[in-house]
Amino acid sequence: MKPKVLVGIIAIVGFTSLLMYNFGNSISTYVNFEQASGMEGAHVVGTLDKSKDFGFSMESKQFSFHLKDQAGNVRRVVYPKPKPNNFEQADRIVVIGKMKGDVFYANDMLMKCPSKYNNTDASQFKQANASKS
Amino acid sequence: MIGFVGELFVNAAFLCSILAVVGYFLYAQKENKRYFKISNWLFGLQGLFLLAASGLLLYIILTHQFNFYYAFNYTSSDLQLKYLISAFWGGQEGSFMLWILFSTLIGFGLMRWTREPYRGPVLFFLTLTQVFLFTMISGIHIGDFTLGASPFRTLAEAMPNAPFLQSNPDFVPEDGKGLNDLLKSPWMMIHPPILFLGFSMMTIPYCFAMAALWKRKYNEWVDHALPWTLGANIALLTAIFLGGYWAYVTLSFGGYWAWDPVENASFVPWLLGTAGIHMMIIQRKSSTSQKASIAFAILAYVAVVYETFLTRSGILADSSVHSFVDLGLYNQLILFMVAVTGIGLGLFFYRYKELPTQDKESKFLSREFLTFSGSMVLFLIGLIIALGTSSPVIGRLFVENPTPPEVSFYNEWTMPMAILAGFLTVLGQYMFWKKQDAESLAEELTWPVAITCVATLATIMIGGVRDLYYMLYLLAAWFAVIGNSVIMWRLIRKKALLIGGTLSHVGFGILLLGILASSAYNENLLSSSVQQYNNAIERGEVTDEQGFQVTQKVNLMELKLNEPKIINDKYKVTYEGYTLKDQARPGQQQYRIKFEPADGEGSQFVMKPEVYPMLSSSSASNIQWSVDPDVRTGLFSDIYLYVSGSSYVKRKNDEAKEQAKKAQPASMESQTDSANVQKVTVKRGETIPVGPFDLTFNSYGEVSDSTFTDSVSVAIRANLKLTERGSDSSVSLRPLFSVYTQDGENWSYSPPVTIPGHDATIRFTSVDPSQGGIELSITGIDENVEKEWVLVTAEEKPFISVVWLGTFLLMAGFSVSIFRHWDRERKKT
Repeated sequence: MKPKVLVGIIAIVGFTSLLMYNFGNSISTYVNFEQASGMEGAHVVGTLDKSKDFGFSMESKQFSFHLKDQAGNVRRVVYPKPKPNNFEQADRIVVIGKMKGDVFYANDMLMKCPSKYNNTDASQFKQANASKS
Repeated sequence: MIGFVGELFVNAAFLCSILAVVGYFLYAQKENKRYFKISNWLFGLQGLFLLAASGLLLYIILTHQFNFYYAFNYTSSDLQLKYLISAFWGGQEGSFMLWILFSTLIGFGLMRWTREPYRGPVLFFLTLTQVFLFTMISGIHIGDFTLGASPFRTLAEAMPNAPFLQSNPDFVPEDGKGLNDLLKSPWMMIHPPILFLGFSMMTIPYCFAMAALWKRKYNEWVDHALPWTLGANIALLTAIFLGGYWAYVTLSFGGYWAWDPVENASFVPWLLGTAGIHMMIIQRKSSTSQKASIAFAILAYVAVVYETFLTRSGILADSSVHSFVDLGLYNQLILFMVAVTGIGLGLFFYRYKELPTQDKESKFLSREFLTFSGSMVLFLIGLIIALGTSSPVIGRLFVENPTPPEVSFYNEWTMPMAILAGFLTVLGQYMFWKKQDAESLAEELTWPVAITCVATLATIMIGGVRDLYYMLYLLAAWFAVIGNSVIMWRLIRKKALLIGGTLSHVGFGILLLGILASSAYNENLLSSSVQQYNNAIERGEVTDEQGFQVTQKVNLMELKLNEPKIINDKYKVTYEGYTLKDQARPGQQQYRIKFEPADGEGSQFVMKPEVYPMLSSSSASNIQWSVDPDVRTGLFSDIYLYVSGSSYVKRKNDEAKEQAKKAQPASMESQTDSANVQKVTVKRGETIPVGPFDLTFNSYGEVSDSTFTDSVSVAIRANLKLTERGSDSSVSLRPLFSVYTQDGENWSYSPPVTIPGHDATIRFTSVDPSQGGIELSITGIDENVEKEWVLVTAEEKPFISVVWLGTFLLMAGFSVSIFRHWDRERKKT
């Protein structure tokens, strides 16, 4: 084998393994609140617990709400920004941050809006006048 | 009926494209003109059917036929015409149609301008991709299986599980769901079409590369393909730019780029297409690198299809701010991707041994090697971004249920690549126009390097750059700008049409400068009290109610009406009130935030951010607000500002909550006793505060109205002006005060006048002629209100303009190159 080819192969293998190693480190897995304790940048998926109050506090300039994760744990989440768009609409919310005690401090939030309407609630629909159809 | 005809047209077009594929295949094999003619007719017929189908879809949308799922899901009857038209590509089905439409138009161009022997295979492959795209929207039922999602399917077909549709399949909803409010933007008119134009044009290099492999003519194809590929690149770049600009100025994402999968989906093909362009140019000049240019041409389109798969199959549902409708096209998209990749790379490796190889290896200092390195860098950047975007798929190698990578993954990997690319542009360009050895190159580069060093040092000093890595980056960027400018200057004097490449490279360097300045030196504009609070957080002195140390800094500030605050020692900022604007979006408030220079020197300006209720998702008891930031674009820095809350919004929310409570009969008892009455006296010409209002008593006049009977001795109407504090729109009220005689006694009569939009009334209860004042009795308004306020998030973003300038220069460079290569091709014929 030519030395040039060898160097090339080593370079490619080196680059790829470094890239994949780094990539593997930069992703994490979605966890629930219990697993999130002690983690930095934990991603928790959940649904808004509408039975509890949520809102923006003018004093602490924080938005807080209760999120129910996929294991059923409900925790208070604080987010240092105003209420994001689409908040109530979201069928799932991803919060990224860390647990401190019983409160999750989110640095980032992603709202997942419903995209499948196959099981839409019938009450959302209003029948048009019969003449239209 | 329309639905049936629509589906018929789509499938007739589908059938025509299948027949055209066969025809073009025969033409490509046998090179018989007859097949070419027939296939062209079929192709044209396909275009006609598709055009008719598109017309019908547009008709359905414009005439609000909500029994069709597409019209129901993406439009509503109150939508403006421009958004109704945009709704055509608002959903996946329509955007596939648009994609095929553009592809068909391009097909006509290729028919006209491509020469033998490539013509047949090129059209064959183009039509083949269209066949795949048609399978996404065909909607044909084969047994239980439905091929694709027809844009003409009815609600009942689209939601087979909904019980109310099962019982009444002919159900027509009164109104549609409407376009997402965030998409109601003029950018929605232009951004998606240009993106799909770019996607469809990216097919062309793929087709030409495949044609070259098929016909074993590995050299001339680049001449034909080059202008088209450049065009595809400009289209994609324009789309990326528009998307970034849209995100920046009207969505509150806070910037122009966020490494979102959807953004990446158009960026990766652009990078690979650009890599391909570099190799094609080298192949044209030096008759080498046939393998690389064919490979990149194939990969650029593979990237388009792969990213289409990622964004449309539902795989990315958890990792993007965009939401995707999963149409169940997963398997078809996989098939499309496997076919495009398999046929492309399969043929490539089948012919690999036959492809021309270079006799002797290129030296390190040669245009071939340097340009190839540049392409590889672009390719690797593309690969890294594609890897990051693929985290839901590839991340499973590492963890179950993977999250998207952190943003730092993208930044850390692309930055060294960008630095490398910056240096390579100059070396490559110096070698491109003249063969040189190390010595002559070093001599030529003396001055550019010297100027680069000066520019870099100046930037480091002025900008206060501390980071060594940033310094290196700045050096590479300035080197790209200055080195390429020198060459451009020389070329202009020789032949101006040759400057495309250097102009693009200058643009690239400027873009690098702009990206660093705008992202690393972004500054929050905050009042001094918030800054002190943030400093305290930094020192670890702030704890929250749980007793934990607060680590998240606050990046918004409160402004009270007409109370100026000094922010960042730079501006004096005053909240001056708001205007209700109902025309564009009902219920929209436009706030006025005045900026004055803190030291009093310089000009002042007013920022006008907006807040509006999202109509498609709000109800009377629950209003969802969305913000529209205002950006003041400057040469050196932009000010980016949005209102994240205000007393007006809070009042409206409270009212909505009240409404929600009223709707529940259980809490009826609290209604009656809560109305509070206050009496105020106001002199003529005076303005007094009443709750959240300012009330001005202008004048009063006697009413000489025949409707009053003779028993009325006095009848006066007061002329009042009522302004909601902070707002600049006001209402006039004319409450009546009258005295009438009945049974020998004087009675006063003052009917309540409702304040529009509020649950409150005003009565004119008494006159005091000696003081010139009147007494009013006001019901239903809180006496104690807090002062009007807004919460403002403001950022100063330096040199965003430089990012745009770099982008424009890139576009300009590509455009010049198109002219040059197109011009040459035309002269050949």
